[in-house]
Amino acid sequence: MKTEDLIALLTRNEGAAERAPAPWRWALAIGGGLLIGLVLIVTAIGMRPDIGAAMMPVMAKAAFAAAFAAATLPIVLRLARPGRPIGWRIGALGLLLAVAAIACVIALMGADPAERMRAWTGGGFPWCLVLVPVLATPTAAGLIWLVRGLAPTSLTQAGAAIGAAAGGVGAIAYAMYCPIDSVAFVTTWYSLAIGLCAALGAIFGARFLRW
Amino acid sequence: MASDETRLRGLFLKGLEGDEAAQRSFLLEASAALRGYFRNRLRTAPEDAEDLVQETIIAIHTKRHTYDAAQPLTAWLYAIARYRLIDHLRRQKRRGGPAIALDDAPEAALADPVHDNADARHDVAALLERLPEKQRTAIRLIKLEEKSVREAAVLTGWSESDLKVSAHRGVKALARMMAAEADR
Repeated sequence: MKTEDLIALLTRNEGAAERAPAPWRWALAIGGGLLIGLVLIVTAIGMRPDIGAAMMPVMAKAAFAAAFAAATLPIVLRLARPGRPIGWRIGALGLLLAVAAIACVIALMGADPAERMRAWTGGGFPWCLVLVPVLATPTAAGLIWLVRGLAPTSLTQAGAAIGAAAGGVGAIAYAMYCPIDSVAFVTTWYSLAIGLCAALGAIFGARFLRW
Repeated sequence: MASDETRLRGLFLKGLEGDEAAQRSFLLEASAALRGYFRNRLRTAPEDAEDLVQETIIAIHTKRHTYDAAQPLTAWLYAIARYRLIDHLRRQKRRGGPAIALDDAPEAALADPVHDNADARHDVAALLERLPEKQRTAIRLIKLEEKSVREAAVLTGWSESDLKVSAHRGVKALARMMAAEADR
């Protein structure tokens, strides 16, 4: 078919363009993903038994996780459209990581030297590395679905941003289970867990986002 | 060429609101610029260029809602063209074809337009045959036979919006089939 004929075919009786997804769809992807994560925590994994007494650290951890989602979601929105560089948006993520690193160092310096290693590693396997990516999956699925409907042109970057944003949401749910409240532990391992989500997103981005 | 940007963007924005003639003019001008862009970058495989022009034309038409009014239209257009080109080169590499280096020529200005209404190797007519019947019928009636949507609705007994949605889905499926066909 000649290109002119293709253009005639495309435009004839076409009408106005479809609309980009409304903000509520993004809110639904995030809120729905978070809700599924919370349901998984309550039904399959179990909330920490002392969640009532530990409300303050639980909320602080959830806020730290939410900050990652808030810092990376604008990057997702940006990369969902062709020809839009990330620009200053990466700065918010850098700032968050810098603050986390400083908080981690200060907390470790303030810790009793005998307890320092334990405060940092949590004294066991960091389950967040497994559970945060699992809890992030529903949010990632929703975001992938929305971003695919737009036109991402840097699939690896877009996948990484989706992974990080979904990882932040997954970590909010994970905070309801996570029994360790040490600042050094949380700043280190939550960041690594969310970073792992970003890496998985970068790896699978090209496969899921290709259009 | 700032005037190109202004004129093209004017046509494009009218097209977004449903002005078919403006959208057609926009796609024609864009296809000429894209032809120059792809021929420049695929000097060793010029026969692939028109395939890419058509794939990109379908992409910029079906994805036109992804344009952000705050950005230059040419930046949006060439980001899609570049994406289609990289996708093409990647597929070719996987098939073991010759690797073509992607030079980073400036894309800020429109490529020199090439108007020659070329034919692509894609056989759109044959691809249409592989669509589900409803989509195929909708495309045939309102896209190929130049019937109005209302006439087509009377003929088929389907609602006008049903027809439009079916044709729209069919065009999107066509784009996927073109990319998949180029894969082989």
